[in-house]
Amino acid sequence: MTPPLSHLGEAVNDYHDTWLVIPAYNEGQVIADVVEAARKTFPNIVVVDDGSSDDTAKHVAQTGAHLVRHPVNLGQGAALQTGLKYALEQPTAQYFATFDADGQHQTADVEKMVELLRTSEVDVVLGSRFIEQNGQVPWIKRVVLRTAAAVSPTARKLKLTDAHNGLRVLNREAAGRLQITMNGMAHASEIVGFLAGSELKVAEVPVDILYTEYSRAKGQSLINGVNILFDISLRERGRR
Amino acid sequence: MKYFWIQLVLIVGSLSLALMFIRRWDRANTRAWKRIAFSFFVLVNIYAVLRPTDVTWFAKQLGVGRGTDLVLYVMVLGMGFLTLNTFLRFRSLEKKLTDLARTVAISEGVRSNDERLAPEVLESSESVKA
Repeated sequence: MTPPLSHLGEAVNDYHDTWLVIPAYNEGQVIADVVEAARKTFPNIVVVDDGSSDDTAKHVAQTGAHLVRHPVNLGQGAALQTGLKYALEQPTAQYFATFDADGQHQTADVEKMVELLRTSEVDVVLGSRFIEQNGQVPWIKRVVLRTAAAVSPTARKLKLTDAHNGLRVLNREAAGRLQITMNGMAHASEIVGFLAGSELKVAEVPVDILYTEYSRAKGQSLINGVNILFDISLRERGRR
Repeated sequence: MKYFWIQLVLIVGSLSLALMFIRRWDRANTRAWKRIAFSFFVLVNIYAVLRPTDVTWFAKQLGVGRGTDLVLYVMVLGMGFLTLNTFLRFRSLEKKLTDLARTVAISEGVRSNDERLAPEVLESSESVKA
């Protein structure tokens, strides 16, 4: 392992201007591996420990990632916003990726998405599980998520196929304007709503999601969709 | 037309609930109105306990059969206000808590990350690490 050489050798794929934001809540089992794997490509990572009761922070501290700790558990939306705010304070940061702590996202997909941001006029790139049907998504989840994308007016406006994908890359302008106020899981819909209401250019690219045993156990249960719908409908009424 | 007045009261009550939800409800003057309403509530309570038959009379004027029913209707509205008020209060508290926690987390994070990550960068750039 010669870290300096590997950095020099990858001048073509230099991702020093990209920050991975990883919200983590009780991910002690896997977080260090996920971070170390991602750091092979992306040197700048901020992990937001969302008030975990396990040893997540200790595992992150052993890696080369930046660690920000919520003193209390606030929810994934709040953790994302904190991570984005931290990354935005880094002057060299240009691209901001939201990445899952449970290892279901691929760094190769993030590279693809950053390349798209660099080479086109697009401000935000969202990952989609459904552009290329690869049969990895459990069928019941597929039905529910596709329905959510189809009935959500904002997702329809942006012609999204997958409104609740955790893998997103934003440029500095988009990240700076995004204000996630939904602390819980409704932030995914909130982000889509924000993008639909702005004039930012949004693109969707196919991504691979690894549904491992671990991520299945940790992931969103479908019944939580009820909570998300409820939060969103209250927000729409309560905001003005 | 028998129920006109009670219907008016209940509909106006429900509409003001809706209004309360879309308006900001933690301003000083709305807080003053809430206090006036509460004082009024206490006075009406005392009066109703002392002269229960008057409540029935008043209920009849509004088109409600019994005083008890009127009290029930008003209570449902009151519960609505209370629930909404608590909900809005909790939400604004949650927002404050989030802002506070985020500020603490970031300032603490900047400090500890500078400490933890700076030496490593130095080492690797000078290739000291084996």
